[in-house]
Amino acid sequence: MTTPSPAVGVRSFRAVAMADLPALAAFVDTACDGFGADGEVRFAMRLAVEEVFTNIIEHGYRGRGPVLVEVDGGPRCVRVRLSDEAPAFDPADAPVPDLESPLRDRDPGGLGWHLVRQLMDEVEHRLRPAPPRGNTYILVKQLPALAPDA
Amino acid sequence: MDICIQSRGHVEVVGIAGSVDGLTAETLLSTLQAHVDNGNTRLVVDLSAVEYTSSAGLRALLATVKEARRRGGDMRLADINPNVRKVLELSGFATILKIFGAVDEAVESFGAL
Repeated sequence: MTTPSPAVGVRSFRAVAMADLPALAAFVDTACDGFGADGEVRFAMRLAVEEVFTNIIEHGYRGRGPVLVEVDGGPRCVRVRLSDEAPAFDPADAPVPDLESPLRDRDPGGLGWHLVRQLMDEVEHRLRPAPPRGNTYILVKQLPALAPDA
Repeated sequence: MDICIQSRGHVEVVGIAGSVDGLTAETLLSTLQAHVDNGNTRLVVDLSAVEYTSSAGLRALLATVKEARRRGGDMRLADINPNVRKVLELSGFATILKIFGAVDEAVESFGAL
């Protein structure tokens, strides 16, 4: 797991339902921008956060429940943690989409976690046994290397 | 997200603007499916003003193109920005959907009736 260093502070947001998605997306975009992420990185992080958040709300809680979203970063990467109090779910158990099958056989199931894995440099899942019990999903995206001074 | 639909001969051009996410994708799906259900099975989706889509948007596109082709038509995409195109490619959609650089090109690809 990459450790953003030096840390320049953690920014947090609490969401409870899909209706919070626009505010969550704006929060993630602003936070990542504050850590120097370019448009491509902000796009990837917004998408990954939406996919994880949607899975928590729709499958973990089946509608509504607390999700704490924390963003931190440093010169080399940005990192987002999403913590819930939902039943345990390891994204390694998510179905793997068949991207080669013909259109009539395509099933959109599993696309969300597939995109998260493709767009993030690191994806980690931790179970929190102590109260509040739940899952923490950690997403890390490396920042493009800074161009050397001319 | 805003949706604007214009007829171009026997093709419907669906212009989408804004973000297609877990909240807005349902509106996109119901709009597209209503048009297909009404017999407008030749669709060109103009994505030039779409700056973001998640898997929710992909599911709406997948359901629509399946139904359009089942009815003898098709849904084709045009003018996609690089971030959205990357999502389509990572999802394997670039191989099952016809994608064009410009709306006119996509409309013409349906040919004359």
